[in-house]
Amino acid sequence: MAMISEFEAFVTAAAFDRAQRACFALGDGTVRFEGGESVQAHDGAILSACLHPSGDGMLTGGDDGRVVWSRPSGAEQIAEVKGRWIDVVAASAQSGLIAFAAGRDLHMRDVADAGFTRLFPHERSIADVAFDPKGRRVAAATYNCLRLWYARIAEQKPAVLNWAGSHIGAAWSPDGKFLISSMQENQLHGWRVSDEKNMRMGGYPAKVRSLAFCSKGQLMVTSGANGLVIWPFGGSTGPMGKEAAEIGFDESALVTRAAATPGATWAAAGLDDGRVWVCDLTGRRIDTVKAEKGAAISALAITADHRRLAWGDEAGGAGVVEVPEA
Amino acid sequence: MTDKTPVTVLTGYLGAGKTTLLNRILSEDHGKRYAVIVNEFGEVGIDNDLIVGADEEVFEMNNGCVCCTVRGDLIRVLSGLMKRKGGFDAIIVETTGLADPGPVAQTFFVDEDVRARTQLDSVTTVVDAKHLPLRLADSREAVEQIAFADQIILNKTDLVTPAELAAVEASIRRLNPLAPIHRAQRSNVPLDAILGRGGFDLARITELEPEFLNPAHGEAGHVHDEDCEHDHHDHHEHNHGHDHQDHAAAAGIRGISLTLDKPINANKVTTWLNEVLQAQGPDILRAKGILDVAGEDRRLVFQAVHMILEGDFQGEWREGSVRQSRLVFIGRNLDEAALREGFEACAA
Repeated sequence: MAMISEFEAFVTAAAFDRAQRACFALGDGTVRFEGGESVQAHDGAILSACLHPSGDGMLTGGDDGRVVWSRPSGAEQIAEVKGRWIDVVAASAQSGLIAFAAGRDLHMRDVADAGFTRLFPHERSIADVAFDPKGRRVAAATYNCLRLWYARIAEQKPAVLNWAGSHIGAAWSPDGKFLISSMQENQLHGWRVSDEKNMRMGGYPAKVRSLAFCSKGQLMVTSGANGLVIWPFGGSTGPMGKEAAEIGFDESALVTRAAATPGATWAAAGLDDGRVWVCDLTGRRIDTVKAEKGAAISALAITADHRRLAWGDEAGGAGVVEVPEA
Repeated sequence: MTDKTPVTVLTGYLGAGKTTLLNRILSEDHGKRYAVIVNEFGEVGIDNDLIVGADEEVFEMNNGCVCCTVRGDLIRVLSGLMKRKGGFDAIIVETTGLADPGPVAQTFFVDEDVRARTQLDSVTTVVDAKHLPLRLADSREAVEQIAFADQIILNKTDLVTPAELAAVEASIRRLNPLAPIHRAQRSNVPLDAILGRGGFDLARITELEPEFLNPAHGEAGHVHDEDCEHDHHDHHEHNHGHDHQDHAAAAGIRGISLTLDKPINANKVTTWLNEVLQAQGPDILRAKGILDVAGEDRRLVFQAVHMILEGDFQGEWREGSVRQSRLVFIGRNLDEAALREGFEACAA
């Protein structure tokens, strides 16, 4: 069974909320829910989106300078930075904190305390932000480094993980031991947080726009290649000295989005030709759940029980599909 | 969404007339939808949601190429603009008077996402006829912006005498023999003459007719190169005509045109071009060429921005046209004799 929609605006993000309901954030400023509800969250495009810390509805950043929480019942403004774009939003269900970036400034909010604000300035623009698994520390990806901030502390000197180049994405491993950044030069860079040991994870033909952990943090899957790239993260050394694997290799297409189940071994890939497939990494059988070609997939999400998948593309196509039983 | 959005990069020093031009682009009734990316010092007077601020952040790429720099803020802003519903007929990027056009232009070749969705249409430089001589004297950026340009809007021509205008145009030509000069007053150039140039489109490089005012060897501009490198900031009281020529020379930037009447060996010329760009890429701002390759009826056309070279066979030589290889380098500290020798050695 599949639901297909034509939203006619770039799909910036897709997610399943706590109620396992698919939500989509769009380039026309709306958030759309699986039940058909449409909430006008922004006057302009949605540039960034994630689930709200409560798991209910979506948090979005727009080119109207606003951060908005949308549920099917309506929209509520969380913050506004006039005249700036909100390029990044991130949230932690564990700590209830929200982080968002506008240019060089990283802002913090707390869902439980409307008066709580923090502002962490950077020398260069912030390209991505990621909370550690407990939601206490936040990593900001910027030029030549990642900066680590304790999210609640007002005055502090951030820890800096240096690596030359432009960092465009950041992610923590689920055990909090490793930080992975995606770089402008078609490669990942990783650090073991405890000793800042560097890991170079290269060999990609394209930028890594999307990555996700699965199997309780044992594996990381990424976009940026002709197939889905899988890095082993078991043990104290993580992927250090290990080789990546690639599944679903297809010379004619690039994987643009990757999604995975945190607790299980399922992963999904969205391709630049519009196709979407899903795979149980233990069996490695690939099921194409969207075979029709179209605009490049720009958003992808999978439910924790790996039974349903939500996708969106650059031209506004979007859908929710059931994953066939093995 | 399949067509690439053309992007015009608008450079020029403060007060040259960029803002007037941008205001016209935003307010004129042209039926087109333009997005304008302005720098942080921009002062566009119109409140319009199609105006976006950018921070001019230059990033070095970790690919071993010293001149390979991109504008990180542009990558981010362009990717955001592409999410907007409806798209744009064109995007205009304004830079500050202090900006190096190189990283802006290279962004459109180096970044895969930007390259997939947009196409650099031209680097258009706005200069002010009245103050250009002074700017060329005190601003290396002003010199580079002219040398880099695909076209030049020579503004405020009503504020100078015909003789001054001729002198200003001559100094522009010395720096950049290829870019057409549009004379203007209060930036009153037709927009369709400015946008849609295809300045980096190989298919549009159909002829190279550099308008040189070649200073002969031994003339002041040549001889004084070395002296002027060191101490040239005290010359402000000289008459303009002399002053700006010296300083354009002091920056060491000029255009060099080479021609060859014998057909060329394609492998040799490719190797040679790669070597020249590898060795002198940081100094070579722009290069363009149309080459007559031995045994090939089509023209081999190339263009380069610093070390980034793009070339392809384009249409056949026209019946009756002169089959001649011609190329132009615009750059700093170029050794004309060595380039000529290298080029001539590529003969088949």
